[in-house]
Amino acid sequence: MTDTVLEVRNLKVAFPSAGGVIRAVEGIDLVTEKGECVALVGESGCGKSVTALSVMKLLRTPPAVSRIDTHRLDGRDLTRLTDREMERIRGKDMAIIFQDAMTALNPVMTVGKQIDEVYRRHLRLTKKEARKRTVSALKLVGVPEARSRANSYPHELSGGMRQRVLIALAFACMPKLIIADEPTTSLDVTIQAQVLDVLKSMQREHDVSALLITHDLSVVANMANTVYVMYSGKIVERAALKELFAEPLHPYTQGLLASVPRLSDRKQAFVQIPDTVPHPLHKPSGCYFHPRCFRAGDPCRQRMPRLNGLEDGRQVRCFDPLRQERETPS
Amino acid sequence: MRINRSPSDPLLELDRVSVHFPVKRTTPFSKRRFIQAVTDVGLRIAEGETFGIVGESGCGKSTLANAMIGMVRPTAGSVRFQGDDLYALKRSAFKAARRNMQMIFQDPFSSLNPRFSVYDIIREPLYIRGGVSDAAMRSKVLELLKLVGLDEEDLNRYPSDFSGGQRQRIGIARAIILNPTFLVCDEPVSGLDVSVHAQILNLLMDIQKSRNLTYVFISHNLAVVKNVCQSLLVMYLGKVMEAGQSDAVFAAPLHPYTKALLSAILDIDVHGTRDRIILKGDIPSPIDPPAGCRFWQRCPFAMRGCETIPADLVDVEEGHRVACHLVSGFSSEQIAAGMDQPVSPQPVR
Repeated sequence: MTDTVLEVRNLKVAFPSAGGVIRAVEGIDLVTEKGECVALVGESGCGKSVTALSVMKLLRTPPAVSRIDTHRLDGRDLTRLTDREMERIRGKDMAIIFQDAMTALNPVMTVGKQIDEVYRRHLRLTKKEARKRTVSALKLVGVPEARSRANSYPHELSGGMRQRVLIALAFACMPKLIIADEPTTSLDVTIQAQVLDVLKSMQREHDVSALLITHDLSVVANMANTVYVMYSGKIVERAALKELFAEPLHPYTQGLLASVPRLSDRKQAFVQIPDTVPHPLHKPSGCYFHPRCFRAGDPCRQRMPRLNGLEDGRQVRCFDPLRQERETPS
Repeated sequence: MRINRSPSDPLLELDRVSVHFPVKRTTPFSKRRFIQAVTDVGLRIAEGETFGIVGESGCGKSTLANAMIGMVRPTAGSVRFQGDDLYALKRSAFKAARRNMQMIFQDPFSSLNPRFSVYDIIREPLYIRGGVSDAAMRSKVLELLKLVGLDEEDLNRYPSDFSGGQRQRIGIARAIILNPTFLVCDEPVSGLDVSVHAQILNLLMDIQKSRNLTYVFISHNLAVVKNVCQSLLVMYLGKVMEAGQSDAVFAAPLHPYTKALLSAILDIDVHGTRDRIILKGDIPSPIDPPAGCRFWQRCPFAMRGCETIPADLVDVEEGHRVACHLVSGFSSEQIAAGMDQPVSPQPVR
């Protein structure tokens, strides 16, 4: 028995549309070890949310067309499971935290009742027992006066509290995998710090694996162990957090890192990556990043580079990764 | 307007501005209550500078910006733009002044009419002002479109064809078409991806330089504010907590709230572990805010006096003001009454 919790191999998702087929995800591998937090980073439209939904098998097919070679959760093959069987897994073995807590929660049901439901359904608890567990789950994520707050409706809570409720909901059955899709993006800075802290301590203390999906590298820096950088439906770089931040190999990763405004330096111009993400219907030839890349050469315009594994376990999809310069002299 | 204005006069000056909105009474006999969105804010914005307003949602920063450009009449205090009291101007003079002040909004999705083409959106201010031929209008729109980095062929497309960053560029073009002198940027990048932030910020800086604009820059991200602003104002629940030259404030932030905001910025430095202040609780409601220091319920250093005695803004050095009892201290009678004893932060209801 390995310690791999989530294993996804060669995930492809496409959406047929009037203008052509939109290839949202083009063959992605994702591996999450036990207790590890893996981050999937990319700009909007790169396919990261579609990946999250596919991992949960929440993507409606049709309209989406998806293919996956391997999809295992804790060694169990999910590819052939029926919707019924998936319902038993979702919420119990894996759970998702959405970005917008207001739309993720049912507005006409108290938050306590929504968490009770998880316990009653998956653990077959009685109403009373479920409520007891709900209150302690709310306490765990730092909701003050949890007993009375459980009787509140979502609109009566602040944004930070709602996000905590979502975290409590996701962690209710202590699943093996938590997927957090932009968990703090819509929150204020001080609240974001609080919520991230809760999420991190819940994940660490209960040894739950997490798949964190975000466009914000500063969130990644505070949570993740391993980082996958995604661009236009493909993984362009994979590395351990510290290595990635210390030495990005893909020009896109370097650009992303440089564009984060920092307190430590004062400069008038911000570092920017030129242009925007290619339209999913009109992806460029060769490497998808080459029109925005300052190092692009002839091969980049013609062929898509492979995701090459390096000797230290890192992976990068680039003909001319940034590290080469240093190693060529030897 | 004013011929006898000296260049050292501020472009915009706010004196003890308060904006309170009445809350609808639930019963005819209940007490009238007010949302104290902005209370007693004073500031001076010099010509050509970028002035930052920092705070979390609900702190009144957008209301303050609206009061600056004549969109919300303050319940107390005065707003002077180019030396004139904005809210005492006659209708025609007010309209002329308003032309000089424009705004860039946070959400590039809801601030553009989805049924207008890019051309219609950008030209609208000019069209409303009138007095320009169609040909002149078109060439002006084209010029601005190029300036903000869009193509001529985008002219007849609709907002839904564009990404968030591109929409924000359209919003910027619309804001500068009347050649304003004063531009309020209300969280111009917070709805965008981090990678696009830099593009939009650089564009705004370039435009400021080439057209000599004065900016008010509203944000909750101090890292961005530090890089673009010369002066700044930190607000909490409608009141100024700390203000001054941004160099001075960032060199030595004094208010606990400023410190908390600074430490809440997630750095991408993965090696250094900083001592982070994580504030407890949420922002209280601006209806009936705390009587003393508005921040005391969440302040990790709150003292007994903070609950009841308001903290006044005091000068700590040239161009740096702070409203905090930790800095200004209590009088000897207050200390004798035990006002400087620490209290544990109260849970915010």
